[in-house]
Amino acid sequence: MSVPTQRKLLAKPARTADKIFFAVAKAAGYSSFVIIGLILFFLSIRAWPAFERQNILEFAFGTGWDNTLDPAVFNIGPMLWGSLLIAAIGVVIAVPMAISIAYFIEFLAPKPIAKTATVIVDLLAAIPSVVLGLWGLGVFTPVGAHWAQMLGDALGGFIPFLSNDTGTYLRSPFIASIVVAVMIVPLISSVTREIFSQVDKEIIKGALALGGTRESVLRRVILPTSAGGILGGVLLALGRAMGETVAIFFVLNLVFDEYNWFNLLEPQGGAIASLILARFGEATPEEVEALLAAGVVLFVITLIINAIASYIVQKAQPWRRD
Amino acid sequence: MQAVERPKNAQPWTNLGPKVKLSSAITIIAPSVIYLAILLTTGMDFMAGLFTIFLPLQLLCGAWAGYYSYGKRGITDGLLLVVTFFLSLFVFVLLASVLWSVIESGFQALSPHFIYQNNVYVSGKTGLEIGGVGHAILGTALTVGISTLVTVPLGIATAVYLTETRDFGRGTVRTLLQAMSALPSVVSGLFIYSMLILSGWSGYSGLMGSLALIPLMLPTVSRVAEESLRLVPKDLRNGALALGAPSYRAFFMVTLPAAQSGIVTAVLLGIARVIGETAPILLTMTIANGTNLNPLQGGMATLPGYIFNYILLGDPTSIARAWGAALVLLIFVGILFAAARVASAPKKAKKRSAK
Amino acid sequence: MANFHLEAKDVNVWFGARHVLKNVNLQFPENQVTALIGPSGCGKSTFIRTLNRMHELIPGAGFAGEVLLDGKDIYGEAVDPVDVRIKIGMVFQKPNPFPTMSIKENVISGLKLSGISRPDAGDLVEQSLVRASMWNEVKDRLNDPAISLSGGQQQRLCIARSLAMDPDVLLMDEPCSALDPGSTRRIEETILELKESMTIVIVTHNMQQAQRISDRTAFFLAEDNTPGHVVEFGETQQIFYGPIDPRTNEYVNGRFG
Repeated sequence: MSVPTQRKLLAKPARTADKIFFAVAKAAGYSSFVIIGLILFFLSIRAWPAFERQNILEFAFGTGWDNTLDPAVFNIGPMLWGSLLIAAIGVVIAVPMAISIAYFIEFLAPKPIAKTATVIVDLLAAIPSVVLGLWGLGVFTPVGAHWAQMLGDALGGFIPFLSNDTGTYLRSPFIASIVVAVMIVPLISSVTREIFSQVDKEIIKGALALGGTRESVLRRVILPTSAGGILGGVLLALGRAMGETVAIFFVLNLVFDEYNWFNLLEPQGGAIASLILARFGEATPEEVEALLAAGVVLFVITLIINAIASYIVQKAQPWRRD
Repeated sequence: MQAVERPKNAQPWTNLGPKVKLSSAITIIAPSVIYLAILLTTGMDFMAGLFTIFLPLQLLCGAWAGYYSYGKRGITDGLLLVVTFFLSLFVFVLLASVLWSVIESGFQALSPHFIYQNNVYVSGKTGLEIGGVGHAILGTALTVGISTLVTVPLGIATAVYLTETRDFGRGTVRTLLQAMSALPSVVSGLFIYSMLILSGWSGYSGLMGSLALIPLMLPTVSRVAEESLRLVPKDLRNGALALGAPSYRAFFMVTLPAAQSGIVTAVLLGIARVIGETAPILLTMTIANGTNLNPLQGGMATLPGYIFNYILLGDPTSIARAWGAALVLLIFVGILFAAARVASAPKKAKKRSAK
Repeated sequence: MANFHLEAKDVNVWFGARHVLKNVNLQFPENQVTALIGPSGCGKSTFIRTLNRMHELIPGAGFAGEVLLDGKDIYGEAVDPVDVRIKIGMVFQKPNPFPTMSIKENVISGLKLSGISRPDAGDLVEQSLVRASMWNEVKDRLNDPAISLSGGQQQRLCIARSLAMDPDVLLMDEPCSALDPGSTRRIEETILELKESMTIVIVTHNMQQAQRISDRTAFFLAEDNTPGHVVEFGETQQIFYGPIDPRTNEYVNGRFG
């Protein structure tokens, strides 16, 4: 007996009200395309004169930012590098803490303690960055400078990262990185926790019952299955750290004229987002274009990092797809 | 059916013997006591000692306790536990430091008039007896309120798109939203500035600030809403459709009510996400000292903008005002947060009783 | 033979590229209960969902053939699936009362969901609950939340909910599989009463149940990666006591499945 050909099933809703309902939903879904597109379009179009005036490579990697010169100089090299440096060091500091917390909550703590710890971490995530900036400026900077001085005195002679001849330890990339780390710990730990929670608990119980140790279970079972997702979370945090504005603005000394390649403890550094905030108020029209151009660079970099990160996170969380 | 008795050692690793208990107690107590003694006698720096004396001592104890209780294979376990606890505690200490400093310094500025007065007659030399954040609270409520009015329907509709349709673009939209969730807030401010203010369509105003908050709020609202819609069992949707409901009625009468608490949580978390945003506001609004309830015109203060301004002023009373405003802001965030937890709690209870 | 109220002609179903049902031809006469039996994965639940177009809600679903209600193809171009589902009600395997509604609201939820207004909604609640034989149990607590009911009561509430729409056909997909024997017996009694006024199709795993309540039985089978199909279809007595196909004989006598 032959099989009849497939019929077209109803792909679209038949009723007008349903059509409207789905059209609205679809439009809303596509609004995120529109928003991202509008951001790119308007920032680029307004920043275009700045890109035209100078070589884009020079803009991105050159040094100096001065609107009193003629012609004015607007280059974001040290800021771009500073953003990367602070974000990277912040991530290096945050990752061990975030993974420890996630491990503690998912695998070690009894239920009530784990719940409390979760609330605490979520609360940390909810602290506005301006409040963290205030804390960084008023409370942490003196403490951090003290730590930095001890580190510099003890190790500065051997480790070039930690040498500092300027005599002051305030407003350094080191301090900015720690403030940033406080911001991104909850982000990394919540992604990690979600990944950890999907590890099959029965396998872990089995491994432990067979005489495996916690350490070997972590190394052989938990980490291999969750490494991808954690990496995605870390990248997500890197993007967030690069975009952080206000908190860094208060605790970092912006130096436009030269790169601070790696002297973490010296009071000079850069951050694109802070540059924008710092110069925006008194900017000349020409300078505003350059600031918008800096915004474009920042946006493109964070967008790329975030897109890669969310791709990895989604890959690592197949249960989220349908 | 006869109840099956649970074997006594179903979880052998939780059944701690006396050896484990003893060595754990020593590991917890001994390094702290020794370190405290060293601190008191030599007066060395706490932080320096924490990493050079306490942590090595603690690791040593952990390794010993592991070895003593479980033999050789226990050593790495002991080290792992010590590192985990140490780093976790470090995070809690950091959070405690932030919260405590805000509470301690904030309370010095806090008074009834600090909540309701505005700042018209305040300069750097004015004492804390006059002036407050009343205008900033109203401004925050207005700007965040307008963003919420726009973003919540948009976010929920996006969540509907992601859960109720079978459009091919869903994966991309989800990725974009995820990427948008880490959009630098300063870029969001630049966006509205370059699109509307630089074009001359609008001056600096509260409305511009609200618009700049939308791209930051949307990902949070839509993600949490999506998650809560996804938790509604397929059976309920099918039940409604099988009764002859058009999709939109099935959604509004069955799916949405079932996801209600999750939707409320989405709204609250969305507000909490943007209530403290500073950079976009600084680029799109001027911070006023007086009360302004017109979002279309004039400067308008918001709590984060207020904090930022007074930190910049830098003198002790201004900093005190900033701490006070930070405390007020944190209290709002805390309330939103607690409300979100309460809203999402009954859902779990309901699920349990349904089983 | 009585006129066939509902008829499936050459029904084929695919999920993606997988062919899961092949050339199913079944006729469901009015005022009779037709049972669909067969081992798990033979496509009987999939088949019953094609009868009121719930099938097409599954992503990747494909379909061929015709389903005729009173001689008219429900998959026709001009037919709105919403109208089909109003005429052909469905009860699911797991009770799914709407958790945010009260018992009363659940009963008349179909009217509200499909936008039908009826002045006698109050009477309809009683009528439907009586037909689902649970009026006496719940008449004093109509405003309680539906999820406060027991599993069996919830399922009968779902039946009442479908009955309130006054359907011509009631499809039941293993309605008792999640229930205790007492609740199962009550639902079977209800089915026997209901068939006086409508056509009923029921998927069941329970051979005794099929014998107790059905007039006709169809035996589905999917052998070794081939699409499911109907092996034998006839009077229930004949299927159970005089099956023609040896595979039917083996199945109804519990040798496999």
